[in-house]
Amino acid sequence: MHGKTGQHAQTRGARIVGVVSALPPKVVENDAFVDRFGDAVAEVTKMTGVKSRHVAEDGVATSDLCFAAGQRLLEGLGWEPETIDGIIFISQSPDYPLPATACLLQERLGMRTTTVAFDVNLGCSAYPYGLWLAMSLIQTGSMDRVLVAVGDINTRANDPLDRSVAMLFGDCGAMTALEAGDPEADQAHFVLGTDGRGGDNLIVPASRHRDRTGDARFAGRNLDMVYMDGAEIFNFTLKAVPALVRETIEVAGVPQEEYGAFLFHQANTFMLNHLAKKAKLPKDKVPINMDRYGNTSSATIPLVMTTDSAEQLKADRTRIGMFGFGVGYSWASASLEVGPLRVCETVIA
Amino acid sequence: MSEFYEGLAEILEVDEAEVTPERELGENWDSLAIVSTIALIDDVYDVQVRPEKLAECKTVGDVEALVEAHRSESGDA
Repeated sequence: MHGKTGQHAQTRGARIVGVVSALPPKVVENDAFVDRFGDAVAEVTKMTGVKSRHVAEDGVATSDLCFAAGQRLLEGLGWEPETIDGIIFISQSPDYPLPATACLLQERLGMRTTTVAFDVNLGCSAYPYGLWLAMSLIQTGSMDRVLVAVGDINTRANDPLDRSVAMLFGDCGAMTALEAGDPEADQAHFVLGTDGRGGDNLIVPASRHRDRTGDARFAGRNLDMVYMDGAEIFNFTLKAVPALVRETIEVAGVPQEEYGAFLFHQANTFMLNHLAKKAKLPKDKVPINMDRYGNTSSATIPLVMTTDSAEQLKADRTRIGMFGFGVGYSWASASLEVGPLRVCETVIA
Repeated sequence: MSEFYEGLAEILEVDEAEVTPERELGENWDSLAIVSTIALIDDVYDVQVRPEKLAECKTVGDVEALVEAHRSESGDA
């Protein structure tokens, strides 16, 4: 079935049982940028809302954060690693071009060699995508327990002199555990869409396969660093996201008032406030935590779950809307019931 | 236009009375101002203008003309 904003999908018989986010210990406050950007720091902060962010030290890879989150998650759930049937790693900053980081995590977590493990390259839309994939795998009946690892070390691809990105991003890794339940229960709805015409608007242009050195768009830039056209991205979200929110609520068939929270990819505070207002969502149901963590790409939604929404998700069963949108362009949403989660916490790793 | 002028005054960091069609956008017309103006236009008129078109604007009147062009375009669609 094709909707206006994306492919509609639904799953049954799988649910989230726990989520852990792992942050690197080093915190960088905005003061650290004043020497470089002067008065622009205040101006950029007003727009993005980011006041501090956790930054990975040299030598730390995304799998290290996901591994720490995974260890704590399995310990909290009392799951033996050999009882897990699959692991999906979704990121824009895998440890290596090859092999897949999911394979490395399978070994580090002590999972069986009969485990399914693969990577998916997505960022802002990663988390709803990952839930859809994992829940679909469980629904086939071939797997009972699946882990979804999301995370990014963004700060290493930040050009320190590019104010549009240097102060925006942060680093985080998260692990989510999903389990099979009653095959008729736990209906979850998803809307997923793509528009590759926006590919060049958020990109790390360095490539062994396609030479972009002569491209005027990237003139004078280090191609290993992320390039973001913030205004284009903002324009895209204005067109895509309010419609995505409406369509997700509509296909799930649950009135908006019955949602306990709407968890948005933490892209930019000004943008999130604008989108929430445009979609007519009550502000108190749209948590924003990026003042403390910045934009952590694929990990933003689980990081909201384990911080601002943790008490709610540990206490009750709650109808949650999730919306990821950006790099690709790719977008994905989910409407599902979550909780009470047995494990929902943030660790420093 | 008053809600629009009020918002524009805040973005350009001037008094609302100073916002006239002839007003030059000046040096405060940077990428952050453009993103804020995209949001303002979306708020007030529910239209999404192209950032590169906004970047080409020199005066408040140019911005208004751009909004009008988009509005008549979406009306035809």
